[in-house]
Amino acid sequence: MKMEFIGEGPALIIEGEQRMLIVADLHFGIEADLAAHGLHFKSRTERRLERLHKIIDSTKPDALILLGDIKHSIPSLTWQEFHELPKILDSLRSRVPLHVFPGNHDIGLERFLNEDELQPKDGAIIDGVGYLHGHMIPAPALAGGLIVIGHHHPLLSLRDEVGCALQTPAYLRAGIDPKGPDGLSLSGKGTPSRVLFVPSFNEIAGYDILQIIKKPFSPLSRLMNKEDTEIILADGTYIGPLRALIPDEAD
Amino acid sequence: MKQIELLSPKVQECIRKRGFTRLSDAQSQAIPLIVEGKHLVLIAPTGTGKTESAMFPVFDGLLSLPAGGGFKAIYITPLRALNRDILSRMQWWCGELGLTVGVRHGDTPMAERRKQALKPPDLLITTPETVQALFMGKVLRQHLKNVRYVIVDEVHELAGSKRGAQLAVAMERLHVYAGEFQRIGLSATVGNPDEIARFLCGDRPCSVVQVPVAKHLDISVKYVGDDFRHQTEVLSRALKREGSTLVFVNTRVTAEALGHALFEHGDVEVHHGSLSKEVRIDAEERFKKGEIRTLICTSSMELGIDIGRVDHVIQFGSPREVARLVQRVGRAGHQLNTISRGTIFATGFDDLLESLVIAKMAKGNEIEPVVLPRNAADVLANQVAAIAVEYGEIERSAIVEILERTALYPRCEALLEDVCKQMEEHRLIRNDGSRIITTGRARRYLSNNLSMIHDERKVPVFDMVSRRTVGTLDESFVVGWVHTGAVFITKGQLWRVLDIADGKLTVEPAKKALGELPSWEGEQIPVPFNVAREVGQVRRTRKIADYAAGDEGIAFAGGFLSEMDKNRSLVPTDDLITLENTDDGVVCNVCAGHKANEALGRVLSILISARYGTTVGLELDAYRMLLRLPSSIRAADVRDLLVSLNPAHMAGILQLALKRTALFKWKLVQIAKKFGAIDADADYEKISIHRLLDFFDNTVVQQEAYRELLSDYMDVSTAAAIVGLVKDGKIQVALGPHSLIGAGGLLSSRDQIPPPTADHAVIATLKRRLEQDDIILACMNCRDWKSKTVVSRVPDPPQCPKCGARLIAAIKPFDEEQYAMLRKPKKNAEERAIEQRLVKSANIVLSSGKKAVIALSARGVGPENASRILGTQADGDAFYREILKAERNFIQTHRYWS
Repeated sequence: MKMEFIGEGPALIIEGEQRMLIVADLHFGIEADLAAHGLHFKSRTERRLERLHKIIDSTKPDALILLGDIKHSIPSLTWQEFHELPKILDSLRSRVPLHVFPGNHDIGLERFLNEDELQPKDGAIIDGVGYLHGHMIPAPALAGGLIVIGHHHPLLSLRDEVGCALQTPAYLRAGIDPKGPDGLSLSGKGTPSRVLFVPSFNEIAGYDILQIIKKPFSPLSRLMNKEDTEIILADGTYIGPLRALIPDEAD
Repeated sequence: MKQIELLSPKVQECIRKRGFTRLSDAQSQAIPLIVEGKHLVLIAPTGTGKTESAMFPVFDGLLSLPAGGGFKAIYITPLRALNRDILSRMQWWCGELGLTVGVRHGDTPMAERRKQALKPPDLLITTPETVQALFMGKVLRQHLKNVRYVIVDEVHELAGSKRGAQLAVAMERLHVYAGEFQRIGLSATVGNPDEIARFLCGDRPCSVVQVPVAKHLDISVKYVGDDFRHQTEVLSRALKREGSTLVFVNTRVTAEALGHALFEHGDVEVHHGSLSKEVRIDAEERFKKGEIRTLICTSSMELGIDIGRVDHVIQFGSPREVARLVQRVGRAGHQLNTISRGTIFATGFDDLLESLVIAKMAKGNEIEPVVLPRNAADVLANQVAAIAVEYGEIERSAIVEILERTALYPRCEALLEDVCKQMEEHRLIRNDGSRIITTGRARRYLSNNLSMIHDERKVPVFDMVSRRTVGTLDESFVVGWVHTGAVFITKGQLWRVLDIADGKLTVEPAKKALGELPSWEGEQIPVPFNVAREVGQVRRTRKIADYAAGDEGIAFAGGFLSEMDKNRSLVPTDDLITLENTDDGVVCNVCAGHKANEALGRVLSILISARYGTTVGLELDAYRMLLRLPSSIRAADVRDLLVSLNPAHMAGILQLALKRTALFKWKLVQIAKKFGAIDADADYEKISIHRLLDFFDNTVVQQEAYRELLSDYMDVSTAAAIVGLVKDGKIQVALGPHSLIGAGGLLSSRDQIPPPTADHAVIATLKRRLEQDDIILACMNCRDWKSKTVVSRVPDPPQCPKCGARLIAAIKPFDEEQYAMLRKPKKNAEERAIEQRLVKSANIVLSSGKKAVIALSARGVGPENASRILGTQADGDAFYREILKAERNFIQTHRYWS
């Protein structure tokens, strides 16, 4: 298995038997929700989709795995989504086969998907790697392996000697506590599971990593082992273990 | 009194009835001009009857017009409190003359507004913001048709601001309904009345009457020491000697502290903007009636609110600007031809010299000019939205016509087009060929954005440890910059952000950080270049006695300077810049004023951060800048940068680098709000505002942020001129030890300049991580010594304490058992391979020392990778970049993921 990090996404290539392009949290239609929160911008759907097309064209994957939250509006489809989504999905499937793991925002999305494109919400293994959106407890079959998820939109704030300089999308690679606080066990066959949190492809969605750690909002983020968590930037730069980021009480 | 003969008998009679026996200079000069129908700017000291000068002829004109038919004169003041005051003065006159008068502003009750819509008064007293609202309703717009006079009071207060720009456009929007009307501007203090005339009238001819203020002023400066208790004692004694006194202070905190200290006097009240309206009005009333003798106040009392007789004004601390001093002292002696007496209490060395210089300039009538804000794009967006709502749809050329009648938007067609395009992006208007069309959002936007004043939500800062609120920050600043883990300063203490949620910033005290941030509540009043320059001159000539210093002042300043001499400190002056090393960084003493120092300090910070790849913390005041730097960068390095700086490049350098600063992001959020992109009550918690702001790259919103910062917040051309003088040798640059002057001041901390690329932050993070990594050093010569340590503590070169050899392997902690394995007498193939690796590791350390240990401590870097990295001969950041590359390769491999 080999990984490639596509910084312009953020997107990820995992190459085993097959070459898979993985993209998380597109959130098409987020602009309507932003407006409801007092932020007014025209739709950026076209620009976002074009960016994805370019990455497909340049990486030439065998399939595209969409890790959920393709659309944004909940609890239902908006008029805009009803009209935009079929075209978006068509433009993607005309280039590459799709695997879609629905997320918590994807209510009503199934009707636009072909049967072989729709994957279970609690995940499935494709080419040796487990995938799901990340808002649910993963299916038992995924235990013990590498699990790749979206849903968390991790962002890293980097500081140098005198303060902040940068906030940027980042991956989290975390070991999973074999005995989680929920009594959940995700270790299969003796090997602990490992989770890769993929940053959001959407330009403006984002949670500070320290916030995710402090207030975990999903089964896997609650189970992650903070001592065994590492951070990687969107372009694959290895930042280091999480503990180096947590403010040191001593200074 | 002969000038009043120009007026109708009815008005003349009224003037006599009110008890006028003679006219002031201002009145006798202004009345004939206004009667003639001329536009007029009238500059005269407070208490010389400016309002009457304008209103006698206006009353006359109003009486000659038929009754009814809407508003006929609009009187605009910058403050609601001033509106109330003017109203109570006008009521008598209007009552006598049979005219109607009304006031309309934010506080006016609905019932009163409805009444005005049905029966508009002849004279409407209002604020610039409420003028905006007059255009929103169909009925009110009808009432604008017969406006013949617009009077703008305290015009200097508006002309230099975006509020004023908005008003200037509004006057031309009024022109569409009313045709030409007569414009009268009133002010007590202005350095450049002609420019004020342009603001008021655009290209129309405008007369100016100026009654010099200086001859009415009697200003002295008293040094009161730097101890607050002593200062209040002196103040207390002074108050007992004087009659009614206004004590002006520069901050609300000082007002509160003084009020507290003087509480026992029993006849002292405090007056500032944070107090409720009722409390303030009560204090004003009691002062007017003579129930209290002293009012401690901030700029809230600067404008001409009538508070009765003031015998004396005390300015506590330097007034910082000549205009401010003149305005404040002008509050004393509220009767014709009396002298206004004022005393400045100076509280330190900078403060004393500054006060002396400002007092002298005030007597010379050298008042700072007002700079008109030209081509402000956010005001334009606001007014385009207003016009869209007013007309429903309108040709862009018609808007250009309105704008170009003002002095503020010359040739604005291209700018207007950009603004309209951007507004469409935020769905505030639609562009349809050459027309613009209003949207459903526009009216709602407008009701929330009548004002160009950034009325910011304040975010409370909550200290987790002491469990109390320690202060507030402007919301735009919080959303634009602050993030979890950020360190900033407020209330003189360092804080680290733990959480931003529920409209609250949770922090904990941080003990050590080089970075420093402003507290954004209440910005500092900048000291102008001229003042700072002359302060530098006084430091050089030491002719303090030429100024009205008083004995204590002369003694203190003389003593301070001879202390500098005794310490062999160089005294920085108008022609000497000194640079001093301190524990925190480098102090640059430059007498150039706040705005020029802001520009110069930022340019230096940017260049340092570009050259050395570190963030630079910047704090400054009118006389010095502290560059917070890592200890490796010294004063000599800063000097080299300063003397090699090309003045012509400074503006460009600032443009490029401002984009990453907190200040810029803060501005951007404010301006985006005026473009309708961000609502005043927007909820930022679910999105990354940092990334949202990238949407404004290369837009008119970004351009406006640059325009405002480079014109209002800093003075690039003056900074460039200073650098030019350094280049020509007219200003010397010298290095010196940390001095008394260098250690003074620095009240206004500002911003950080981040390094030019994200790369530096990544490398800084990598360095920090590697230094903290555990590593095991093991001797491959005697094979009998190993020691676990952290990389930062590894000596260079590492050596075995047992046998003295330098053949030391660097082993990662999880491979520790490999060293024990070496002792096995019989090794299998795998174990022999491990032995080979350890030997190789030791060989690399032998040839490259600690650098090899650093490389070997990196993630997934074994001896092969390490020797490749070291083979590139890269040093410094380049060396770390090689390590980053190796780590990046490693995590793409199966080995990392399985």
